[in-house]
Amino acid sequence: MKNEILKIQCLTFEYQPGHPVLEDISLSISQGEKIAVMGSNGAGKSTFFLHLNGVLFPKTGKIYYRGEQIKGKNIKELRRNVGFVFQDADNQMIASTVQAEVAFGPMNLKLPREEVKIRVEQALSYMDLDTYRERPPHYLSGGEKKRVSIADIIAMKSEVILFDEPTAALDPVSAGVLEQVLEDLSREEKTLLVSTHDVDFAYRWADRIVIFHQGKILADGNAMEVFLDGDLLRQAHLKKPEMLIVYETLLEQGLIREGSYPRQAVALEDAMKQLV
Amino acid sequence: MIKVMRHHRSHSHGTASIDFYACQSGLRHWNGPYKVFSSLFILVLCLGLDHPWISVFVILTIGTVNLFGNRISFLNYFELLKMPFAFLLLGSAAVAIGISKQMVGQVFFSLGGWNFYVTKEGMLQSMELFLKSMAAVSSLYLLALSTPASELVSVLRSIHMPKVLAELMNMVYRFIFILFEVQREMRIAAASRLGDVDFKTSCCTFGQIGGNLLILALKKANTYYDAMVSRGYEGELLFWEEEKPIEFWQYLLLAGYFAVLVLARFCLLSES
Repeated sequence: MKNEILKIQCLTFEYQPGHPVLEDISLSISQGEKIAVMGSNGAGKSTFFLHLNGVLFPKTGKIYYRGEQIKGKNIKELRRNVGFVFQDADNQMIASTVQAEVAFGPMNLKLPREEVKIRVEQALSYMDLDTYRERPPHYLSGGEKKRVSIADIIAMKSEVILFDEPTAALDPVSAGVLEQVLEDLSREEKTLLVSTHDVDFAYRWADRIVIFHQGKILADGNAMEVFLDGDLLRQAHLKKPEMLIVYETLLEQGLIREGSYPRQAVALEDAMKQLV
Repeated sequence: MIKVMRHHRSHSHGTASIDFYACQSGLRHWNGPYKVFSSLFILVLCLGLDHPWISVFVILTIGTVNLFGNRISFLNYFELLKMPFAFLLLGSAAVAIGISKQMVGQVFFSLGGWNFYVTKEGMLQSMELFLKSMAAVSSLYLLALSTPASELVSVLRSIHMPKVLAELMNMVYRFIFILFEVQREMRIAAASRLGDVDFKTSCCTFGQIGGNLLILALKKANTYYDAMVSRGYEGELLFWEEEKPIEFWQYLLLAGYFAVLVLARFCLLSES
């Protein structure tokens, strides 16, 4: 088993007394995991992310980062090591140029000026934003803003990155770029949690799927365990991924290797070739 | 048959504001305090040297800098100058025209015993005033078109304006665009449901949009705070400021311009 990076124990939270938004959440997250957090609107995904990031503090329950319990004092540790890419990039940007925006996090980490500069350079070129550095964020398009909001977090070199519905409101090309970035980040051993409604994306990308329902964890398992469970999907307002339906149809016709469960189009081709 | 529409990607984002020009200016990379100082210095020189030919010279030279240095098209620059031009024209007219009960100067209009007149001196004086003001406006445009608002704030901060004010200005600058955007969206949404069908409904819609904006602003403020905290905000807005050193030739440029203006003034003085 890999290093455990985050552990959440019996977390409960409510905005108003008597109306719990999160109830008895327990989860253990290892380094380098690719987790899709799913569930209907208002299931508590965003609130859960705000806890992992140290913006909200649990009413009861504990959060551990690398075995150390997070309390009021070391909550900064959590904010430093867990980055949060918000759903609406506009809600995240405060500086008046792209460069200053990306530098905001590193500046808050109180890094020396030289280090800030290096990190900003790296983050900008990582997200292919070199030519945008002097532009004010309000003159960027939606996809460009999203890239800036990811560069924001990359510059902080967080070990865990939370994405709140990153593909919402992105055009297919921008969404493709985003998936590539997720792929690159996980190759660098970053731990990624992505909240999404897109079952096809989750099936394609995630190693592990956590489903929230009315403030509780309804299911937690790998993609196959979750998406083959029809009752579970119905309860969580989810649908079976298209790729899985295609696989099942092909299997019925005897055109694909049994148990191959291809998750990407490329893998589908392979699974069908190997049959012949 | 699929019809493919190809559009040129335009960079006009609704309102092409002065701020937008400032961001694409060729002088963007020049030192901020230098730009502020030189614009104000030229402004003071125009007023101090006080000669119509000096004013004309400044209007032409600074105009050239605005066109080529700040990379504004002639048409856009003309648009920008139109408003102060009209305003100053009316202002100077008021200086040139006198009202008197006596018959003085060149009377061109009389009403109930009051004579509206112009004199040669008055005309010359108002002309000089007009040119001087236009030169002053040009040199202020030199500043506005080369320096984005955020850079101005950082200049103000460097001359020890209270930190709270500087942070507030930065926030206001960022949020004003968001507020405009949200307001625009709501107005369009209202219009698409006949919210502006007549005057009374329009007024009602306007009020509702205003109220909604307030509530939205409060909600947005919360989200922003969360986003800032999540990136380590601890009560002080730390923004990256680019270091832009002043080149030696830039000092020379300003000194040269100053010398030319003063010399020209002396020549004009000895001539008259």
